Amino acid sequence: MGLALEAVSKSFPGVKALDGVSLDLKAGEIHALMGENGAGKSTLIKIVTGLIRPDSGRVLLDGRAVQFGSPRDALSEGVSAVHQERNLIPRFSVGENILLERLPTRNGLVDYGAVAREARRYLELLDPGIDARAKVLSLSVAQMQIVEIAKALSSEAKILLLDEPTASITEHETAALFKLLRKLRDDGVAIVFVSHKLEEVFAIADRITVLRDGKNVASGAPMEDMTRQTLVSLMIGRPERVAEIAERQVDPSRVVLEARGLSTTRGHKNITFALRHGEILGLYGLVGAGRSELAHAILGDARISGGELLIRGEPARIRDVHDASTRFRMGYVSEDRKQEGLILMHSITRNVAVTIWRRLANVIGLINPRAESRAVAPFIKRLDVRTPSLGQLVGNLSGGNQQKVSIAKWLAAQSEILIIDEPTVGIDIKTKTYLHELIGEIACEGAAILLISSDMAEMITLADRILVMHGFRLVGEVANDHQYETTSRAIIGYIHAVGDVTPAPAG
Amino acid sequence: MTLFRRLLLVEWSGLAVAILLGALALSVIAPNFLTEFNLYVMLRSLSVGLLVAFAQMVTLGVGQMNIAVGALGGLTAIIFGATIELYGFPLLLAIPLALAIGALGGLINGLLTARTGVNAFIITLATASAFTGINFGITGSIPFYKMPASLVAFGDHHLGAMPYLLVAPLIVAFLLGLFFSRAAPGRELLAFGGNPQAAELSGISRERVVVSAHVLSGLLAAAAAVLAVAQLGSAQPTIGADWLLLSFAAPIIGGAALTGGHISVLGTLFAVLLLGLIQNGMVLAKVDPYWVQFVLGALILAAVGLNRWRAVNSGVA
Repeated sequence: MGLALEAVSKSFPGVKALDGVSLDLKAGEIHALMGENGAGKSTLIKIVTGLIRPDSGRVLLDGRAVQFGSPRDALSEGVSAVHQERNLIPRFSVGENILLERLPTRNGLVDYGAVAREARRYLELLDPGIDARAKVLSLSVAQMQIVEIAKALSSEAKILLLDEPTASITEHETAALFKLLRKLRDDGVAIVFVSHKLEEVFAIADRITVLRDGKNVASGAPMEDMTRQTLVSLMIGRPERVAEIAERQVDPSRVVLEARGLSTTRGHKNITFALRHGEILGLYGLVGAGRSELAHAILGDARISGGELLIRGEPARIRDVHDASTRFRMGYVSEDRKQEGLILMHSITRNVAVTIWRRLANVIGLINPRAESRAVAPFIKRLDVRTPSLGQLVGNLSGGNQQKVSIAKWLAAQSEILIIDEPTVGIDIKTKTYLHELIGEIACEGAAILLISSDMAEMITLADRILVMHGFRLVGEVANDHQYETTSRAIIGYIHAVGDVTPAPAG
Repeated sequence: MTLFRRLLLVEWSGLAVAILLGALALSVIAPNFLTEFNLYVMLRSLSVGLLVAFAQMVTLGVGQMNIAVGALGGLTAIIFGATIELYGFPLLLAIPLALAIGALGGLINGLLTARTGVNAFIITLATASAFTGINFGITGSIPFYKMPASLVAFGDHHLGAMPYLLVAPLIVAFLLGLFFSRAAPGRELLAFGGNPQAAELSGISRERVVVSAHVLSGLLAAAAAVLAVAQLGSAQPTIGADWLLLSFAAPIIGGAALTGGHISVLGTLFAVLLLGLIQNGMVLAKVDPYWVQFVLGALILAAVGLNRWRAVNSGVA
C-alpha cells in the first residue's frame, strides 16, 4: 500500500506549519523525513495519522483520497505511528498497552494470559528483556520507547510512521529496530522514518523528503545521491558550521565538587570524581547507566547512603533541591524539558526568573515587574531565544528555544555548579551548535559543569575529561584529546571491558 | 483574530459582560433591584462568599483542593463565639485568635499533605470530618448568641449601598492580587502549581509551597467565618456547611486552571458578584431558591467548557 500527500497546507495561529507539501511513500521502502525543529515534520505526521486535518491539499491512500477524522480511522486503514510524545498508560501492564484497543477476551473478560503471550511476540522482535506483565511505570525511558514501537508493530500496519524512535534507546536496541524495519520493508510495509541522527538516516533510508520552514526542499530523492553535507545544507539552508569552543585552562587545585566513594539509594556504588572550577566534566554512558540518577542524588533528590560529597572542600549534606540551588549554588538542566525543566503554561520571564524571585524582591517582599524583565532580558538576548516578547508562553516556543530558556534560568541564578543533562536531545543542528558554544562559554566564565550526554560527538566536542558510567558504577576516565577516533574508542573500550553486566533498574 | 475573540480570551471579560447584562435586565424587570436597600443586601451577602472563594482559589493555585474550607470555617466561628461569650475575650484578642485557629487548621492540612504525599483531596476530606466533629462536640450544635454590639454593628452598617462588611474581602482581594503577581512566595505557589517537578528542580521547596498554600487557605476560611458571625450576629455551628460548592464554583468560573498554576483574583471576584446577582435576581423574581443550586451547577459546567476552549485556542492545551 502506498501513501501520497499532495499540496498539503496547514496553519496554526501565527504560523504556517505546512505550505503546499508533498510526500510520496511507496510500499516496501523506508522513507526518511528530515528537517529542523519547526520545519513541519510532526505536523505532517499528525495529518497522516488523523490527529489534525489539513486546511487544504489531499491525502491519497493507494490513489484513493482519504480523510481521517481520528487516529482510529487511520489505524483501521492500516496507518500506524510512533509519536515523539509518550502515549502509554503508566499503571497498565506492558501487554495491555501494546494491545490496548483490541484486548483478547475470553467469556467477555480480558484474557491476561493471552495479552502477555500476544504482546511478547512483538517485544521479542526488539528486546526480549522486557516483561509483558510488568507495569509500564516500572520501565526505563528506553524500554518505554521499545513498548511504543512494539505497539505500533502490533497493529500489523501497512504504513508505519516513526517520529524520532531512537531518541532515547540504546545502540543495541537501535540495531535490533533497524533489522526489524528492514524485514518489514522487505515484506512490503511502507515506513516513514524521522530522526535527528544523520548517521541513522544514511544507514537505513532508501529515499528522503526534506522540509524547511513548512516547504519541500527535497521530495523523495534517492538516498544514494545524498551526502551528509548536501543534506545538512538542505535542512538549514546554508552549509553547516562547526562549533567554536575556546580553549580553557583548568586549574587542577580548584576542586568545586568532589565525590568520595559515594553510594546512593538508587543503586550507585563507590562513585569517586572531582569537578573543578571552569571545567566541563563529561559523564558518558548508555541509556540506563545511572547518570541522571546520579545527578538527582547529588542534588538531594535521592539519598546518599555512603561515602562523602564535598563542595568547595567542605563536606556537604544537601537536603533537597531547594537546598542545592540556594545554599550550594547548583543548577540542573534536566533532560526532560517539558516534565522537569519548564512551566509550559507560564511566560518566558516567569520561567527564567523563578530562580531569582527571592533576590529580586524588595524590602516589603514585592517584585517589580520591570526589574524582573530587566533581569531576564539580557539572558534571553544572549541565548538568542527567538520570541516576539518575554511574555510569550514557553509552551508556544520551539524545542530549541525551550532548551535555551531552561539554561537561561540557571545563568540568571548565577549557578557555580551546573549539571547539564542531555542538552541537545531532539534539538536541531543550528541550535545544537549554538548550545555547544554557549556551554563552552559558561565554563570559560568559571562555572563547573558536569555534562551528561549519550551523544558521543557532543561529548568529544565539549568535555575536558570524560567519566564513563556503566551499571551505576564509574568504570573509567578518559582525557579528551578532541579526536573522535581515539577518544570514542577509549570510551567504548571501558564500556565493553565490563562486559554485559545488566544495569540496575532505573528509577 | 477578531477583537471579539481576543476579548473572549481575557478570562474575566465574559463575566463582566454577563454582570452588566444581568444588572441591566434586572433593573428593567424588577423595579426593586436598583434600590439602595436591595443592593446593600446583595453586596452584604457576597462578603463572606468572596473570602470563601479566595480560600479555595489559593489551593487551586498550587493544583490542590481544600475540602475542609467549610468545616474549618465552622469550627473557627464556634471557637470565636465561645471565646467571646464564655471567656469574655475582647474582639481585639478574639479575632486574631480565630485567624490563628484557621491558620493552624491549614497548617495541619498542609503538613499532612506535604509530608505524607497523599492527595490533598483525601487529607482535607478527612480533616473536614474531624473539624466538624470537634465543632459539634464543643457546641452540641447550640449557637453562641451574645456577640458584642460593635461586631454586630459592623455586620449591619452601610454607607449608601456599600456594606462595611464588604471592605474586608476587598482589601483581601487587593492583597492577594499583589501576592500572586508580585511577591516571590506567591509566584512560587503558581510556579509549583504549573509544574511541580520543574518548580522543585528550580529550587522551590515543595513543602514550603504546599504548607503555605494550605495555611493561607485556612486563614482566609477563618476570616470568612468571622465575617459570617458578624453578618449573622451569632456564632452558629452550621456556618460553613454550605460553602463548598461556591468555593469551587467562583474560582473556576473566574478562570482558574483545575490543574493548578493559574488563578485570577479579579475573575473570582467577578464570579462571586455574578453568582450573587443571579441569586438576587431569582429572589426578586420569586423563583424557588432550590433552583439556584441548579443554576450554579450549570454555570460551573459552562465555565469549565469556556476555559477549555480558551486553552485550546491559546495553543497551550
